[in-house]
Amino acid sequence: MTSVAADPAPAVSRRAGLVRRGSARRLFPVALDLVLAALICFVGFRYLTDPLRELEALGLAQVVSWIEPGRASDILPGHVLLFPERGGMIDAVVTASCSSILSVLGLTALTAVILRGRKLHAVAGLLVAVAALLVLNHVRLLLSALAGMWWSDAALVLFHDWVGTLWNLAATLGGFLLMVWFALPTLERAEQDVAGRHTARRPDSWARPGLGYRAPEVEEARKPGRRRTSITGLLHRYVYPARLSAWLGARREAGRIDYRIGHLPVSARIARVRALVSDGLGRAPGLAGRGRLLRRGPAGPRRPGAGGRGAPVGTGHEPPRGRPPAVGPRLAAGPRPRERARRPGARRRGAAPPRRDRPHPGRDGHPHGGPAAAAHHRPGRAHPAPPAQLRPPAPPADATRRRLVTSTLDAPPPAPSGPDAHDAPAVLVTGAGGPAGIAVIRRLMARGQRVVAVDADPWATGCELATVGAMVPRADHLHFVDALIGVATAHGVDALIGTVAEELPALAAGAERLARAGVATWFADPLSVELCCDKSAFARALRLAGVPHPATTDTPAGLNEVPGPWVVKPRAGRGSRGVRLLDSRSAVVEAMRADPSLIVQTRLSGREFTADALVDRNGELLTVVPRWRTEVKAGISVKGTTFDSSTVTDAVAGALEAVGLTGPANVQGFVADDGRVTVLEINPRFSGGLPLTLAAGADVVSTYLSGIREPGRQLQHLWFTPGVSMRRYFAEVFTAEDGSHLPDPSDVRVGQA
Amino acid sequence: MVASTPGSDGLAPAPAVAAGPGHAASPEGRPWVLAAYGVVTTVALVVFGVDPTLGVIAGALNVVFAVFFIRHLSFAVAAARWAERDLLAADIGLGDYTPDVAVLVGCKNEELVVDGMVSALLALDYPAHRLTLVVVDDGSDDDTGPKLDAWAAREPRLRVLHRPPGAGGGKSGALNDALALVEAEVVLVFDADHEPEPSALRRLVRHFRDPTVGAVMGRCVIRNGKDSSMAGTVFVDYLSGYLVNEYGRQALFELPAYGGANCAVRMSTLRALGGWNPETVTEDTDLTLRILMAGQRVRFDVTAIDFEEAVVTAQRFWKQRYRWARGHQKCLRDYWRPLMRSPHLSLLEKVETTLFLLVYHVPVLSGLGLLLTVLRAFGIGDLPAVAVLPLSMLLFVGPLAELCVGLLVGRVERRSAWRLLGFLPSFALAVVITTRAYVDGMLGRPYTWVKTSRSGATSTVRPAAVARAESAGPAAVPAGAPTRPRTFALSGPRPAEVGER
Repeated sequence: MTSVAADPAPAVSRRAGLVRRGSARRLFPVALDLVLAALICFVGFRYLTDPLRELEALGLAQVVSWIEPGRASDILPGHVLLFPERGGMIDAVVTASCSSILSVLGLTALTAVILRGRKLHAVAGLLVAVAALLVLNHVRLLLSALAGMWWSDAALVLFHDWVGTLWNLAATLGGFLLMVWFALPTLERAEQDVAGRHTARRPDSWARPGLGYRAPEVEEARKPGRRRTSITGLLHRYVYPARLSAWLGARREAGRIDYRIGHLPVSARIARVRALVSDGLGRAPGLAGRGRLLRRGPAGPRRPGAGGRGAPVGTGHEPPRGRPPAVGPRLAAGPRPRERARRPGARRRGAAPPRRDRPHPGRDGHPHGGPAAAAHHRPGRAHPAPPAQLRPPAPPADATRRRLVTSTLDAPPPAPSGPDAHDAPAVLVTGAGGPAGIAVIRRLMARGQRVVAVDADPWATGCELATVGAMVPRADHLHFVDALIGVATAHGVDALIGTVAEELPALAAGAERLARAGVATWFADPLSVELCCDKSAFARALRLAGVPHPATTDTPAGLNEVPGPWVVKPRAGRGSRGVRLLDSRSAVVEAMRADPSLIVQTRLSGREFTADALVDRNGELLTVVPRWRTEVKAGISVKGTTFDSSTVTDAVAGALEAVGLTGPANVQGFVADDGRVTVLEINPRFSGGLPLTLAAGADVVSTYLSGIREPGRQLQHLWFTPGVSMRRYFAEVFTAEDGSHLPDPSDVRVGQA
Repeated sequence: MVASTPGSDGLAPAPAVAAGPGHAASPEGRPWVLAAYGVVTTVALVVFGVDPTLGVIAGALNVVFAVFFIRHLSFAVAAARWAERDLLAADIGLGDYTPDVAVLVGCKNEELVVDGMVSALLALDYPAHRLTLVVVDDGSDDDTGPKLDAWAAREPRLRVLHRPPGAGGGKSGALNDALALVEAEVVLVFDADHEPEPSALRRLVRHFRDPTVGAVMGRCVIRNGKDSSMAGTVFVDYLSGYLVNEYGRQALFELPAYGGANCAVRMSTLRALGGWNPETVTEDTDLTLRILMAGQRVRFDVTAIDFEEAVVTAQRFWKQRYRWARGHQKCLRDYWRPLMRSPHLSLLEKVETTLFLLVYHVPVLSGLGLLLTVLRAFGIGDLPAVAVLPLSMLLFVGPLAELCVGLLVGRVERRSAWRLLGFLPSFALAVVITTRAYVDGMLGRPYTWVKTSRSGATSTVRPAAVARAESAGPAAVPAGAPTRPRTFALSGPRPAEVGER
């Protein structure tokens, strides 16, 4: 074969010397490791051979004496003198090659150079493997010796040399496999199973590349919440002082930081996290404070402004203290300041830093999640037994006094306040911190329902307005549904209303389990919900269905078909987060280059409207209540008026049909000056302006609830009064340190007293 | 570059390269060399006596094994040190470098897997106007062609090229034909059973910013490990093959191999080299070596992932590995001399390239070593002239160390440790396969492309994704429009109709 004649393109420059510089950096440490391995073997062989073979000879003589008393002697070091019955004497020498020293040293060297990253696991594996090797070699020597005793010298040699060599090979291989077995992670901690299916319990985008593919059957086969006792867990629980345990936990959490995005500039990092949230963390993107991902540590008290609802993701970002590389998201670390302040005793009892969305890493055997996270809020010695998922909570001494936001499983059962309090089943409302959640809770309370309000935020206002408030992990937590079931069982819930769109996929996936726990639900098709949450897919669906929708594109190339002026927004954003109004094409292109997850739409003009709608399970529209969005703050309408329009109703009906949504929906759009109606987006949930719809007479909440509780029931159309206006203002709920309600100083009755 | 002679031994020259530079002919077999080996051994046996000669051969083999042991162990150490960190390395340069890319796939009777493959290709994350997908239906006589046509009708980015049966050149011929159709800066190649991750394309392409990079290899992951124990073994084999062996070659010598699928080649390089060599059955190793000789480099990106199907039976394993062994061994015969004369490789790189080329000869030598050991058991032959470590250590520990690090880096659950036992029979199988391939190759027995059969039982592309590709959204709920009132207002439309206040 001739060599290639042409020089196709720039070639690598040949540098003088043995190695090219780039690779040399890594050659030398590897060479050093190999030298280390050789040294271990050499030094070990030089100094350990004699002691080990003398030890083995001693052991052999001892064991032979047990079997054939008086017929073995260990008087010569390294030799075993055997006295067979037939007379004579066999001097069996335990040489270096009979000894297990070579295998032991080989495994030690391997551990030192290739397994050392596994630290304790590697050491444990090595110890077990060495022990196994010693035992197996003893068995080999013993069998050889007995063969010599019972038959002849030749039998000893034959067995020792031939059978024994194969035996030794098998023993070494077995020891190696045992060592590897110890060094590899358990199924719970592993990221792939034997067949290469992805079992890591973390979102795809956070996983290591190439971890196999997700196999649904693996997820199903998994027993949720199975606990394993691990040494680390026991150490954390019973041995380490609380401070050390907390420090180790925080350190480990800090290590969870995904540094793949650490090099990016802050804006790109924010965009990246958004993308991660929308795909990976995201069966429940945006739920309960997406901004927290970028804040330091778990949810602290909501800060005013930055990071709160409505603020752009990442505005509250600070690099972790004490760690120079400013890196992106971390899932949780460090104790929550508020918990510290409120329960000073917790830490003294040895509790781990309370964590909100993940269990303590070292306290159990679940690296990727544990039982309902809230169960971990007060672990420590007070609750040594693993809490069962649905363990009926023991009411604390002060349970009667405190009706406050609690963690899921420590929640005291609702204090029996009246004979009917327990008779009527309760309704579970999620997203109690949002305006929609609060509106639903207040409406249900007004209808005399028992309401259990849950949110991932312990400060959620709705929890104070409901019969019972409880804290649950965020919907992207593995045990979100478990936690809901726990709350539902504890409080006698028979129906669930979700008020956060991003929760819906998780809820829909858990609907069957909820149903088994006696909780009725009614969720839209997850595909429809996904369609509503992805603005780009939504635009395609509406275009296909012929419903007027602003021209939309997600690539700079498609910009030609999208006339200006433009509005640029994240593909999966909500509220008005990350929305920018741009007038020049170059600015739009630049924005899209900087963040490919953006979409671009033609900016609409005209009057903005919102319509609350309810679609029954068969797809029949039960009501459409349009209202003008006269004034909007942070994506929530604060002033508005209901109006009547068949054109708007038609457009809303068409859009809902196009995405195939059922249940409550909130459709937003514009009415142009010439009367043309354009639908902008659909939120597959109740809206923040729900009180206006209720005030106008369309009780979508109660109808939805009866649709949940009686799936077969034919729901009636709901009618509303046009021209009803709403003006909103802030309202307050006050609680004392123990969680009890304080009187409102502005309340008329209080003021008069 | 002047056009050189096309294939001389009856294989049809590929149309795409007929006009351009061709591939110089090389002798198919070298029976005389084999005979010379035999003669030299016989003479030595006669002149020096049987026992000393066998002792010297055994000693020489031990030296070879020791060198390979150190090589394997170095790769294992390198991977144990850095592979995990590199897997999570910062995603640099993914967004802002987007040259025109053509993705080429050759399919021959692949009806079971084409749907998954095309879905995965369409899901590749890359600007649509810079991406061309060309799938070659290489004379399939099953449903592959119609299936591809159906995809092409739905998806304008996809082009399908139908080759008549017997067009020749195997995979290389199909790819060369497709190459003639496209204009792009970078060409990506997948096999029909491959399903790349959406990010794989950008991850491969980013390396071409370095003008000395001629080709980039990504990491292939087995997706059907659950289908059979053979497939499970191959899964572990691939883990260590890519995460340890290929990784080590990149980390220590920057000499990884281009692997034929999930890899990218610079178009200018490829055209200058005359496309893929239709005369070899391992066009990947062939291209790797030609790129090295041309002074460019292959790079390995451990984070560019695609999922492929493993062979599920021992019979298919035999066929596949025989082809690899045959092609790889031929590459040593064809390219070793020119490589050693290459001005573009340093001494150490030449040594490593030699070892790489020898990889499929080592099992042959292992077989020889075992034979000598057995002979010694019967009292024939001296002890090895050079005895570095026990033979078992040299033969098994190196590969086992690689496999073990592969499992560790891949964070596979611990039960997989026992899977390593499965490598003992496969080692024996490798000895037989490579020896057979060596003898066949040296004798010049005719051999052409053998297609690996697929099962298509496991796909990483969810059916939902395919469904979504067909219709933009879920089926609309049956309209309840007929029974719907015009509006839900109590008093009917008021004068304040839309658009005014």
